Amino acid sequence: MKPAPFDYERPSSIEEACRILSEAGGGATVIAGGQTLMPLLNLRMSQPFILVDIGRIAALQGVTRVEGGTRVGPMTRQADALADPVLAAHLPAMVTALGHVGHHQTRNRGTVGGSIALGEPAAEMPATAVALGARLEITSTRGTRVVDAADFYIGPYMTALEPDELLTGIIYPDWPEGHVVLFREVAQRPGDFALVGMVGAAVVEGDTLTRVGLAWFGMGPTPVRMRQAEAALTGASLSALDPRAMAELAVADTAPFDDHHASAEYRRTVGRRIFARTLREALQLREAA
Amino acid sequence: MNAPNSNLGATRWIGKRVPRKEDPRLLTGRGQFVDDVTLPGMLHVAFARSPIARGRIVSIDTQVARELPGVHAVLTMADLAARPIKLLSFFFTEAEVPITPLADGHVSYAGEPVVLVAAETRAQAEDAASLVEIEYEELDPVVTIAQAKVAAPIHPGVDSNVAAEIGDEEVEDELEDKLAGSALRLSHRIVHQRISQSPMETRGVLASRDGPEELTLRITCQSPHLVARWVSLALGLPDTAIRVIAKDVGGSFGLKNHPWKEESAVIVAALLMGKPLKWIEDRYEALTASNQAREAEMTLQAGFDAQGRLTGSHGIYDCNNGAFPQGADSNIAVHMFVWAAYRVPAYAFVSRGWYTNTNGLAAYRGPWAMESLVRETMLDRAARQLGIDPIEIRRRNLVYLKDQPMVTSMGIPLDDITPGECLEKLLDHFDMAAFRREQAAARAEGRYLGVGIASYVEPTGSAGSMAPMTGELAQVRIEPTGKVTATLSTHSQGHGTATTMAQCIADRLGVRYEDVTVFEGDSTRGGFSPGAAGSRQGVIAGGAAIRCSEMLADKVRTLAAHLLNASVESVVIDEGTVRVEGAPEMARPLAEIAAIAYGEPDRLPPGFESGLEMQFRYQPPPMTFTSATHLAVVEVDAETGFVKILRWISSEDCGTVINPAVVEGQISGGLAQAIGMVLLEEMPYDARGNPQAATFKDYMLPSISDVPTFEFVHANTPSKSIGGMRGVGEGGAIIGPPTLVNAIADALTPFGELGDVVLPLTPARILDVIEQRDVSGFYAPEPVKVEAAVAEPVAAAPEPVAEAPAVPSAGPEGDWNMVLKTPMGPQAMVAHFDIEGTALSGYLSAPEGRQDFAGGTVEGNRLRFDLKVEKPMKITLKYDLEIGGDSITGKCKMGMFGSAKVTGERA
Repeated sequence: MKPAPFDYERPSSIEEACRILSEAGGGATVIAGGQTLMPLLNLRMSQPFILVDIGRIAALQGVTRVEGGTRVGPMTRQADALADPVLAAHLPAMVTALGHVGHHQTRNRGTVGGSIALGEPAAEMPATAVALGARLEITSTRGTRVVDAADFYIGPYMTALEPDELLTGIIYPDWPEGHVVLFREVAQRPGDFALVGMVGAAVVEGDTLTRVGLAWFGMGPTPVRMRQAEAALTGASLSALDPRAMAELAVADTAPFDDHHASAEYRRTVGRRIFARTLREALQLREAA
Repeated sequence: MNAPNSNLGATRWIGKRVPRKEDPRLLTGRGQFVDDVTLPGMLHVAFARSPIARGRIVSIDTQVARELPGVHAVLTMADLAARPIKLLSFFFTEAEVPITPLADGHVSYAGEPVVLVAAETRAQAEDAASLVEIEYEELDPVVTIAQAKVAAPIHPGVDSNVAAEIGDEEVEDELEDKLAGSALRLSHRIVHQRISQSPMETRGVLASRDGPEELTLRITCQSPHLVARWVSLALGLPDTAIRVIAKDVGGSFGLKNHPWKEESAVIVAALLMGKPLKWIEDRYEALTASNQAREAEMTLQAGFDAQGRLTGSHGIYDCNNGAFPQGADSNIAVHMFVWAAYRVPAYAFVSRGWYTNTNGLAAYRGPWAMESLVRETMLDRAARQLGIDPIEIRRRNLVYLKDQPMVTSMGIPLDDITPGECLEKLLDHFDMAAFRREQAAARAEGRYLGVGIASYVEPTGSAGSMAPMTGELAQVRIEPTGKVTATLSTHSQGHGTATTMAQCIADRLGVRYEDVTVFEGDSTRGGFSPGAAGSRQGVIAGGAAIRCSEMLADKVRTLAAHLLNASVESVVIDEGTVRVEGAPEMARPLAEIAAIAYGEPDRLPPGFESGLEMQFRYQPPPMTFTSATHLAVVEVDAETGFVKILRWISSEDCGTVINPAVVEGQISGGLAQAIGMVLLEEMPYDARGNPQAATFKDYMLPSISDVPTFEFVHANTPSKSIGGMRGVGEGGAIIGPPTLVNAIADALTPFGELGDVVLPLTPARILDVIEQRDVSGFYAPEPVKVEAAVAEPVAAAPEPVAEAPAVPSAGPEGDWNMVLKTPMGPQAMVAHFDIEGTALSGYLSAPEGRQDFAGGTVEGNRLRFDLKVEKPMKITLKYDLEIGGDSITGKCKMGMFGSAKVTGERA
């Protein structure tokens, strides 16, 4: 279990990294925390010519407040993000989700941006970015573009990132203080990828839901934004809410798969239930008769 | 516990929770595993493996690989054939189908090694292996037991995919009448998934040719002695030419009993190349290319009277042997022990192992564990149907001490099993009535609690019935310094034998535990034994260490009595001091006595052998039973189908406990594996025969959060072996699964009957019961793939026994080369028949000896005769053979073990 030979580059700036990626013409792979890539390299499932280590690029690290939101540097370690006071104050849903990413040990190396850029459909970080409406800043020698997280994911491990592009920032929009976190993950063991999981946020004003962002993980080839449920919930009155009906809408957008851990039918069945229960508990709804 | 010898010192070490001697080394990263050893000039091995499950090798091109920098050799089977090696089973028998270290002309499972690369680094070796070009002509694989039953044989030269078979398909009339007349006749089925043994330390070997044909092996294994003997037989080398070293081993669980294809390839390559070769299996190889275990199905039928008493039983067992099992196996032990602890008037069975294009079968902790799983889950199912409490149905059928001695319906003598006593002791620690109230209250709130119990007995410490299962040698020395060293053929893959054996020695010699050092893990130390195999080391090596130490203590006392002018009876050794009772001023340090024993021969008694050294080989009773009853409490989440284990109590009787921490560690480890098998672990194959769990992301071992803190109750009925110990190595993995399944089934009763059990009980399968529909998709009809499996044109159907042609070249008289498919592997023999009228006599001759028989009969082509044998047990073998031209087919009925197949040809 040794990787195939590769060249190793460790640029110290975004510009240098982008130049290497551009010149490599598709033969380079970016390594951040390496918690997924290292096993893939060792299994020879990934065989890049050049490995570009972005661990020394200061501009890619840390959490900062920006106009209307919070910017997370993609090289921010998951453990650091988990302990970050700015994230705790502004993005409690993300902090909740981070607690389920891998294990204590892997979070010390694993990064927020690495997880988002990898695009594992059953992982927490991509779905969280989709649910919270994050925008992804992507840089190359051709310039910088911004893509909505919801448009970023194409298929399992397939994203809108071109071979010469680098994820340089994740900008999460602000959710008002006191917003509700909706999170539930069903995994066979702590730290496993989800059999089915949901993440999101909701803003309640009086009896009304004024803003809702929700996404599934482990329920299709990409993180799945619950568009129908979001639409039905936004503007809805809590007292008139039927969690089961909402759960039906929530699973309507999904395309789960069968594997030896669980069937698609299991994922849908349990997805409905955790959705209804999470909605009831987080929004303190009374049990429907 | 055995009454201590009156001359023993006051300090007891047996029974103490002393810290393990191995731990400082292992916990500070100073363990010495195979990969920690580096030899000068050593090369690293990687394999090019088959990406398909079945096919013909059209061509192998190694040229590009050979030219890579650092590569020393790229070898195929054609190269290795220069140094023949026979891959043997654990019982040292040869396989029915040829098994070569590397694939020879065709591949039979995905992951089969085809080409061996030796290079200066592992990375170079892997680079080169990836450049070997192998062209295959792919054939449709036979993957499942169901396919194996209908498909043409996967191996050339055999007449079916039956690798091993024993017992009788038909239920005899007498048993059928018993079952038919029962108040409840229940048929219960278990489908057990395939398991990867997954030791923390993967397989690995460092082979070095030291002389013309002298071999030193560092290999991760279960017994350096067994490996040395296996390699000696496999290579036809004198065992004096082989040294096997395995200081530390990170788990094995049956996988590393002896070398298999990869290790054999490395050994042969090292002999051919004359350079030390190291191969360390990586985790991907470990999961996808190592041998595996457990995939089996069993249907157990039993009859019960209205009070829940057993009236009779019949079992059908099938297991997937893969392509190249480490011993073709129909798992006779499942049937020997399925009802060993219960009073059942009659039991019969049929059992088969099947060849498929999957990884070969190897042992896994409690290889016969299916018997406890199918029996205990069936008893609970029967109890629910009869409206009897699960505890009560066991009380009515279990064999208690008061019922013994007795002989089971399978002919096993019992005189001291205690599963019932373990059950009663367990119930002293668990308020069942209170639990049932709690359970009812919880159900009213939509919480589903369940309790499960299961009882069993386990054969441990077996010795004397099979070639490798010998006694154990202990060699104990008091060094001139007064410190004690011992060399033993025990071996620890986590067992802590250096600790427990030191406790036995310290206890019986009268020295401090700290002053005893046990050396093991090297075939040049101690005498032959199979090491860790069949829960035997505590029983047999413990007994050897105890008796040897007592003999050595006697020698010390004889010398001390002479030196101190006291009577031998008055001398006591305690805490390393030799005392004379009633004369405290005469106490001497043991070191002082030892120095005299070695260095001052003039002061020794006449005829006294100088030095303080002793050895003893212990041959224990043939089998020692361990008993246990376990109880688990679970909560099932009805929304998600998740199971949470709330409590688990083990009530076991392993006789004398040498070290409670070691015993509890053994049970806990087995239970963790049990939890894995019931809830998490599975090595599935796709339709093309590819193993699907290639990393620990998909092969789900239980983690610390999945395993509760176990509670222990120890019953301590001393066994008849020296020291009174009973084996405890495998029990947790045997009794754990039914305990947990029963608890889950109990929790699910408000929704329905769990019924037949398909492992693992994934959350989806549990929702199947809760919702009474097919959530898991398991019951959806699978597309029938029989066509693909049968269409395979490789081997023609077995030739019908010559009807028309073949004028028999002669009658039955004369010599025949015959093969009997025994549970321990095919046994080849020469049969000689003499005929007078209809009277048949003759002999059967095998390398082990020749046995004559007379009194047989001849009717046309049919020959029948009886043969009485003594080993492995007293039994009458009834042969019933049919001659067809120059071939012979038929059966040999082996007492209660049912029938085994016989084939043969004219010699």
